[in-house]
Amino acid sequence: MLSRLRNPWPDHRAERMLGAVALFACLCVLAMIALVAQRAWPIFAHNGLSWLGSGGSLKAQIETMLATSAHPPASAFYFRAWPIIYGTLLITALAVLLALPLSVLSAVFIVELAPLRMRRVTVRVVRLLASVPSVVWGLIGILVLVPFFDNHIISPSERTSVEGTVQLTGAGLAPAVLVLAVMITPIMVALTCDALGAVPPAWREGAAALGVNRMRAIRAVTLRAVRPAIVAATVLATARALGEAIVISMVSGSNFFAPRPSDGLTFLFEPLRSLASTIVDYHEGTSAPALSAALYACALLLLFSAFALSVGGYLIKLPMRKYQTRG
Amino acid sequence: MHRIRRIAASFAAVTLIGAAVPAIASATSVITISGATASFPLVQLLAHKYTKLEHNKVSFRISQGGSTVGVNDVDAGRVTIADVSRDPLPTDPTGLDFYPIAEYGICIVTNKSNTLPSLNEAQIQAIFEAKDKEWSQVPGATASGPIDLISRTSTAGVLTNFKTLFLANKSVASTAAEEPSEGALEQQVANDPRGIGFLSNYRADQGTVNPVAYNGVACTRANVASGQYTATARFYEVTKGEATGAAGKFISWVRTSKAARKIISTQWVPIKATS
Amino acid sequence: MSTLVSHPISAADRSGIGPRRGRGSSMRTWRWSDRLLLLAAWAAGLTLCAIAAAIVLYMGYRGIQYLSPELIFSRPQASLTQAGSGGFLDPLLGTMLLTVIGVAIAAPLAICSALWIVEYGRPNWLARVVESGIEIVAGTPDIVIAFFGLAIFQLHLLSFASETAEGGGVTGRSFLAAGAMMSLIALPPIFVTVRDGLQTVPSHMREAAFALGKTRIATIRRVLLPGVRSNIATGVTLGVSRIIADTAIVIVLLGSTLRISPQPGGAPVLGVLKGLGSTLTSYIYENSPAGEGGAPQKAYAAAFVLMLFVLALNLVVERISRAQARSSGFVTAVEGIV
Repeated sequence: MLSRLRNPWPDHRAERMLGAVALFACLCVLAMIALVAQRAWPIFAHNGLSWLGSGGSLKAQIETMLATSAHPPASAFYFRAWPIIYGTLLITALAVLLALPLSVLSAVFIVELAPLRMRRVTVRVVRLLASVPSVVWGLIGILVLVPFFDNHIISPSERTSVEGTVQLTGAGLAPAVLVLAVMITPIMVALTCDALGAVPPAWREGAAALGVNRMRAIRAVTLRAVRPAIVAATVLATARALGEAIVISMVSGSNFFAPRPSDGLTFLFEPLRSLASTIVDYHEGTSAPALSAALYACALLLLFSAFALSVGGYLIKLPMRKYQTRG
Repeated sequence: MHRIRRIAASFAAVTLIGAAVPAIASATSVITISGATASFPLVQLLAHKYTKLEHNKVSFRISQGGSTVGVNDVDAGRVTIADVSRDPLPTDPTGLDFYPIAEYGICIVTNKSNTLPSLNEAQIQAIFEAKDKEWSQVPGATASGPIDLISRTSTAGVLTNFKTLFLANKSVASTAAEEPSEGALEQQVANDPRGIGFLSNYRADQGTVNPVAYNGVACTRANVASGQYTATARFYEVTKGEATGAAGKFISWVRTSKAARKIISTQWVPIKATS
Repeated sequence: MSTLVSHPISAADRSGIGPRRGRGSSMRTWRWSDRLLLLAAWAAGLTLCAIAAAIVLYMGYRGIQYLSPELIFSRPQASLTQAGSGGFLDPLLGTMLLTVIGVAIAAPLAICSALWIVEYGRPNWLARVVESGIEIVAGTPDIVIAFFGLAIFQLHLLSFASETAEGGGVTGRSFLAAGAMMSLIALPPIFVTVRDGLQTVPSHMREAAFALGKTRIATIRRVLLPGVRSNIATGVTLGVSRIIADTAIVIVLLGSTLRISPQPGGAPVLGVLKGLGSTLTSYIYENSPAGEGGAPQKAYAAAFVLMLFVLALNLVVERISRAQARSSGFVTAVEGIV
């Protein structure tokens, strides 16, 4: 059998083998969507799409799900996930808003402004920041940032103002947003750099020839040219932020509370949960069928959003193809 | 190229061996356990001793998750034994056998900086139902500011017991933070100067938090054993149907043997033989 | 990528003109908004550097403070106190084991897929489908992949990969399950780097091989694969750094047992693969205040070790890409990140 291996395969067989492997990788994706959807089905069967809305106490619903065992009654499947969907949107939106100016400016710095040595350092820094494991971010968040918020930022009057509604312990929206913003910045910087580097030098030279100063040229020509890429980078970073589970679970205070903007600035310190962090927090509860279905429904929603965002990113990047070397 | 092929061949060999071996492998029996985080340290100690006594013929796979998770797991056949830190509930699946193995105390705990000496039932109810919201309303407290309630997730048997024993079956206020395990609650109270929560007497005694006396009786093993401390509950081992086989042997060893009673007596209280 | 090197401004930088004196115009004539933007860009770049420096220095400080050899060489113990809970030998081995399993599955899959797509890719629509499939995997949050793993390995069909309780339930949690899901995380970076590498192999190399009478597959084996060796190395390194950094999959699919606990009575190797355990990431999570163990000092020490791994892998990627001498650096940065 081994001697047959020694002879090169005929081409058509090699093609089929390689193709089969590639298809297998692709089938994994289909299996993933199918299995997650199948596990999530009971939630859709009992709630339709209204589980995406609000209604009743999510905490009580999860408790009911946990308390029932092998054959839960239909009432156990009642699920209204709005607080955690809202939490996910809130954390993601704020983190992206924070990361966007930081990363666009850094990208301009790296590609257009930094002296060569500085640029090399910064590129390395971006790569390093991108590869710091999320649990390390979470650890720093929970051991440094959260106590800092608790001891120095949150004032006694803020604690008293929401007393009886929610407890402020330092873990909450603000530290989650800060850590997440730092986590997604490298992605956006890298993508924006890529696009900036792909802007034809002639455009810049043209601007310079018109006697425009460098910063003006960057604003008027370069940044304008890469706008679609910045949007695409934002979309990708949003996808990454949506799915981040560990960090949010560590620093968000893990509470089914929906922070209320009506609380003023205190709102930033209120605890919450996101879809992904809820899944991590309750992963041991998958032995309760109802809760398992609810968690898989959350996973399906995340999967769907990530998919929609990557399609969106692709569509946005299409006009960039004209002058970009890499998609 | 030759190297690549050799690697492929050795992969094939490993796969063959891997496929052949499991057939011979099941000489020892595995007992899988899930459930209460409160009894986890005790069950771990017991399992360790039992494995030694049985010359490694038995081995254990213990995971946590909370009493209700354990009950669901054992009912669904995912584990052999459930650790449960509360009495059977009417909502539990039918057909489960509960074997009490030890008694433990439930302690109210605060941050170490808050050297609250003692609380009575009314005070505890006022605090945990969020009628008292400030530490200034609690006599003897050295903390200031709002009270941070730290409770457990609803799967926790200790939470069920806490509600029965201290709150006359009312619920902990909804503002309370909910920790998934005894360890996490201990951490939270240890880190939060305004925190208050409840732990089994063993956890409360680790020196990281301040155990508060209940009605003037300190929450210690000795007071639980003598019966002076009244807020006590039981750990159970739960099986689906009567405990048989390796699991049955283990449970009866835990309930009857001297070695097991010795381990239980270090931090917990063995169940009297009559019960 | 070459656009950057021949970039007029970077050329100016290189010749030592410096960024502050732009081409011909003094800063004094700039508008306020332009000056502000320049300042902001510098501030942003330096902020990034400062954050990275702070992280590295802080983790280094904590690591040196708390790390000791016995932590690395002792196994975790069940204990409620920080002093008695042992070290992280098992998590360290767990990280390595998962990496090996993940790469062993992901690398062949990714390389074969890339080869098929670039060298054959017929029918065309199928190639696009496969490519988008891999892109979907790349965009899927790791917690979703972890739950997919739980769902698939709890199927009775795959019960051989994990343990089956006496009651007949399949746990779906094991090194094999976690490793298989890790391969999904590592697959996209390997695929993308190898695909891009293959696409940059000049077509005359293929044509030369065909002219010598080689078949396509022989060309792949003798010409293309050796040609993209460094891409494969980069891709695998990136895959490895994905795997060692992942937490969600480990927590869900390996459980919270810190010790490597082989399936009891199993064969030496297979028992471990079917058993449970931990990795550095799950060790950090469990020992942080978010988890169970309550040993932040040990979490710091483990995080320090993990950061050392990450830094080393970063260096490897950089080495390879420098040896390749084909980019100014940030193209690989992009490859490593997205």
